[in-house]
Amino acid sequence: MGKHLIFYIMFIPSMILFIWGMWFRISLYLQGKIKGVEEISPGKKFIILLRKGWRGFWARPGWYIKVLIIDVIFHKKLFGQSFYRWFTHTLLVFGFIATFIVDMIKGFTTGYLVEWSHTIPALSFVHAFETGSIRPFLDFFLEFFSFLILVGCVLAIIRRFILRPNQLRTEEEDITALTYILFLELSGFFIEGYRIAHPEVVASRIYLANFTPASANNWLSFGGYFLSQFLRGIRINADFLWYFHVLPSLIWFVYIPHSKLLHIFTSSVTVFADRSKQ
Amino acid sequence: MKLNLSKLSPKQLLEIDACTRCGECLNTCPVYSQRVEEGINPRGKIQAMKKFIRAQYGLWAKILGPKKLDEGSIKKFSEMVYRCTLCGECGIDCPVSIDSKDLWLGLREVLIEMGHYPEGTDILKKNVLTEYNITGQPNEERAEWLEALDDLPEHKYQKDKAEVVYFVGCVSSYYPMVHKIPQSLVKILDKAKVDFTLLGGSEWCCGFPLIGAGMKKEIEGLIQHNIEKVKETGAHSVVFACPSCYHTWHEAYETDFHLFHATQYLLKMIKEGKIQFKEEKIKVTYHDPCDLGRASGVYQAPRDILRAMPGVEFIEMADNREHCKCCGGGGNLEMVDPELSAALAKEKIKQIQATGADWVVTACQQCIRTIMTTSRRTKIPVKALYITELILRQMK
Repeated sequence: MGKHLIFYIMFIPSMILFIWGMWFRISLYLQGKIKGVEEISPGKKFIILLRKGWRGFWARPGWYIKVLIIDVIFHKKLFGQSFYRWFTHTLLVFGFIATFIVDMIKGFTTGYLVEWSHTIPALSFVHAFETGSIRPFLDFFLEFFSFLILVGCVLAIIRRFILRPNQLRTEEEDITALTYILFLELSGFFIEGYRIAHPEVVASRIYLANFTPASANNWLSFGGYFLSQFLRGIRINADFLWYFHVLPSLIWFVYIPHSKLLHIFTSSVTVFADRSKQ
Repeated sequence: MKLNLSKLSPKQLLEIDACTRCGECLNTCPVYSQRVEEGINPRGKIQAMKKFIRAQYGLWAKILGPKKLDEGSIKKFSEMVYRCTLCGECGIDCPVSIDSKDLWLGLREVLIEMGHYPEGTDILKKNVLTEYNITGQPNEERAEWLEALDDLPEHKYQKDKAEVVYFVGCVSSYYPMVHKIPQSLVKILDKAKVDFTLLGGSEWCCGFPLIGAGMKKEIEGLIQHNIEKVKETGAHSVVFACPSCYHTWHEAYETDFHLFHATQYLLKMIKEGKIQFKEEKIKVTYHDPCDLGRASGVYQAPRDILRAMPGVEFIEMADNREHCKCCGGGGNLEMVDPELSAALAKEKIKQIQATGADWVVTACQQCIRTIMTTSRRTKIPVKALYITELILRQMK
């Protein structure tokens, strides 16, 4: 069975569980009463709130985008409170968003557009993403943004477990969230390093990334490249490695609605709600 | 006993999940600074509520059935929720901008329905809903503070028709320590020839004490009555010396009246030249009342008034404006835990003294009462003035 198919067999249920988890949380919020509205079903409340948000957005879309960038992604308020916390948080948030965007660009161009370009000559430009001038940038920025997440995670771990400011109170979900991010980062760099160190892994297309021709400049993926220097003499089942990173990555999505990470969505809403009062 | 989540709004339920337990609120909560107990600080209250919600509505509750809430835990939670002045400073510094004051009021409504609330709350409700004031004394006695005024006109400032209504509020009406507030304000308005009236015994409590206790749904009758009485005077403006009354009218009353806090109205009169000052040297600092500052956004008007007075040297406190520390008088805390309220007031007095000012000026009668009561009991000297008293002193 091809890796693509295996991936989608795992990906689709995890997305369903993620959406189910998010709906579970939203349906809890919908137990609340909306001012001025008589008792109605959660579904109807959802539509009312969705309409309100939709109208609100289109009344001033520029303002919403500005708040999204300055107050949500770059967290202006936190910047005023603590540079360390702001820097840590920005590395994580920006790192995740940027990695996701670059990964989507790389995946879509090399995974789909390249295929389609065989029948649609107008798409031939996408070869630049696969083997041409754009590929090195994709490889580098994917690595760089992932590295930002790792640095942010390490800084957060240092603050919580070494610096230990009085205001922090560590509970199970804090430990889980941080160690999980750390695991995903390190396992990702590790399997990349193993792939660079063992060209036969690429040849046998064990990882999804192997469907893209190997980079001519592995050093651009500097994290994996560094690790590859130590992995040349080590033999691990590459299939196992793939599952070792991909499965937890997918479980990560399922975990989000039931964890501290739900604040990614909830605090974005609270920030928007607060700014719209001003 | 099942938690009734419909006492909270969808936004408030989402805010409970949005809290990341960063602990920033611990640095600002004045109650926590006195009672270092996790359950009493904003984070602790939110996390406790989250646990109750998860126990009855969470994923495991869905699978295995809701857990019964332990009476002892709810009782303890109630004690923590009501030991809050509703100062709102936690919300200012919250990195995820949780509207914490609104959330605390929502939690109090949940607790009222569950029957877990402080003892004095039933008496408060009875006083407000039957006698229409917080003291339980006859409402006709509301304007008795007028009797101490010299040269009281025949109408005793209670006219059938006027352009402006001065809504006095329960505290200024019934507590002799702060009678000087309405007395000074009517003198100023009279001197400046403002066409104003009082409602006298027709004025009912604005409803804020019941909102603060978690009984917002009980105040509808009060709202309708007060609006009707103001309409009967033909007035287009209502002036409040009490920040809580001012804030409540803004938030809970649906009216077209122009609503002014006394500082805003008097500043307008100063700018129009209707109030002029003599020069008299005095060193003052200003305490921002929570319901006027953080809740209503009125910071500049009182400062502009102070700066308009020649000879007045104005010194800001270390924590001012949206970071001004609560005096301890709000949120019904005085009724629930007078010692804790006094502890907050003591800290406030220290901040006042640190400025070296002769007087602390403020724009809230409850702040005056709280500061002066603690000053007398602890024998820490501090002199407090409501801003209208200072204006009257400095007026030509």
